[in-house]
Amino acid sequence: MVSGRSLEAATALITGAFGAAVVVSTLDNGIGWSAAGVESGTFPFIVGLVILAGSVFNLVQGWLHARAVVLGPSEIKRVAMLFGPAAVFVGVIPLIGIYPASAIYVFGALAWHKRGSLLLAAAAAIGAALALYLIFELTFQISLPRGALGTLFGF
Amino acid sequence: MENLEALMHGFGIALSGNHIFLMVIGVLLGILVGVLPGLGAPNGVSLLLPLTFGMQPVSAIILLSSMYWGALFGGSVTSILFNIPGEPSSVATTFDGYPMARDGRPTTALATAFGSAAFGALAGVVLITLCASWVAQVALAFGPPEYFAVYFLAFASFVGMGGTPPIKTLVSLAIGFALAAVGIDTVSGSVRLTMGIDEMVKGVSFVVAVMGLFGIGELLIAVEEEFHVKAISSKVEWREVFRTLAGLPRYGWALLRSAAIGCWMGITPGGPTAASFMSYGIAKRLSPRHANFGKGEPEGIVAPEAADHAAGTSALLPMLSLGIPGSATAAVMMGGLMIWGLNPGPMLFVEQKDFVWGLIASMYLGNVVAVVLVLLTVPIFAALMRVPFFIIAPVIVIICTVGAYSVSNSYLDVVLMMGFGVLGYLFKKLHYPLAPLVLAIVIGDKAEDAFRQSMLMSRGSLGIFFAKPLVTTLILLGAALLLMPVIWRTIGRMMPRSQVKP
Repeated sequence: MVSGRSLEAATALITGAFGAAVVVSTLDNGIGWSAAGVESGTFPFIVGLVILAGSVFNLVQGWLHARAVVLGPSEIKRVAMLFGPAAVFVGVIPLIGIYPASAIYVFGALAWHKRGSLLLAAAAAIGAALALYLIFELTFQISLPRGALGTLFGF
Repeated sequence: MENLEALMHGFGIALSGNHIFLMVIGVLLGILVGVLPGLGAPNGVSLLLPLTFGMQPVSAIILLSSMYWGALFGGSVTSILFNIPGEPSSVATTFDGYPMARDGRPTTALATAFGSAAFGALAGVVLITLCASWVAQVALAFGPPEYFAVYFLAFASFVGMGGTPPIKTLVSLAIGFALAAVGIDTVSGSVRLTMGIDEMVKGVSFVVAVMGLFGIGELLIAVEEEFHVKAISSKVEWREVFRTLAGLPRYGWALLRSAAIGCWMGITPGGPTAASFMSYGIAKRLSPRHANFGKGEPEGIVAPEAADHAAGTSALLPMLSLGIPGSATAAVMMGGLMIWGLNPGPMLFVEQKDFVWGLIASMYLGNVVAVVLVLLTVPIFAALMRVPFFIIAPVIVIICTVGAYSVSNSYLDVVLMMGFGVLGYLFKKLHYPLAPLVLAIVIGDKAEDAFRQSMLMSRGSLGIFFAKPLVTTLILLGAALLLMPVIWRTIGRMMPRSQVKP
């Protein structure tokens, strides 16, 4: 169970950390006025400060006025069930390339939900990879990542 | 009259077989992304972007803008038939559209929605036809301070009128600006905000952000809400369509009011989503039948639909004449314009007459094509909704991954996209707006350049923003908009409680 309060806090902390990173990073570029005009760090520096200040405000507001529960157990499960496999899919692309990764992803999704036979799932998986190749690689000449596996086989 | 002549010239360009074909393709693809949850107009347009690089700019913009119209219409279809908004801007259409369809009048609901949407779109295009070149002419005299003031006004109106918590809007906007600054600084050539990752020198593309925020993020929201698709008959009865369309003038006042709200929200970048909610809220307050709202009241469909489409269309006015997009999708299109080598802004009206007027003419035609196609294809796209979500979801993830990767053949972009996905989910969940973030990524550099050039002109004095009447007015207007939330709250406190929430 995730409360609205902790979700608000987590988001404000993420944005705040980003703001802080921006502020620190722009100090290297120089802030303020130089002979060549406004230094290149100035604008992002101000922006970073706005993010930081806004995040602190949102943190406090979220803590004081948040709704009780925004994510129940079943919702967390559904979100994880979508995000988990998607993250694994993206994670394995550098290793096995996008074509095998997409095929396994589609096969896994169909097999997991137990609709239709495994044969059908396998057909859909190969179909998905093939469609990607035909649409992007052949028709629009966009080269997709082949991964370490692809390099190994010289694909 | 000069405009009318130019428009006729534009029709000459838009009315070619090739362009009509692109409109049909664009509208169909648009309806598709509009219907699918997780894919929306900003994604769809970004996905198509790499495919337009070999095209003439005018053909490319006709394809992309037609997709936008299609997506706006497609979003309403699922809102009405399934109570699932395909687009954020069609959420308000579910309030009365779905109840009416559920009570056995799906055709009436759809026809009312499409009719009012077409009226809204028409209002937007007419406004563009009449005003765009005039605005551009005024803007030709703008210097850097005026430009910065206009940018400031645009961003302030997000904070003041976006309808989301103002500080959250501000944070979203500022994150966009910071992301725009990543990479090589266009003025000094120095490298900024790479956070130690060399590859970040190329910057963060708005396409990557859109794929993550609107694609993965929306998908996570959609799966969490676990919708149950209740099949309502999706058969369209043509006799009923014409009867409903003929009856629409009864809501003339609501149509005009909603279109006006939409145009206003489209030009000052409040966006279609905020426009449809605002229009629905106002209609509910003013209508003599306000007790009926939420139970299938036609005016409850007319108001959000007309405003949604008016805002969507008129969002292109500031994009064309000032270089400031009025919505997230317009921002993506403007990114496209820059990639094609065009410079959005007043010079377009001088240097690229064919492009501008071809686009404007295509907006008239594209919306007609969209209305006809959406009516013809309702049963097909409605059937698509019966495909289980667990099949659609991986397909959308794969499409977004390819879309992010193909921007610059970089795996880092895919990883960034997943990060944006998580951020998009959290932001959606907690009512942070996403459109300002995308807008700021697209025009952040231009706003910064305008600011720095103004500073160069004045040798570092902020006084330049108060030196001429026009700049001062714009800056003061912006400041007033920024303070709007505070003003509203003060008024709310002073008024008795019963009047605040009617």
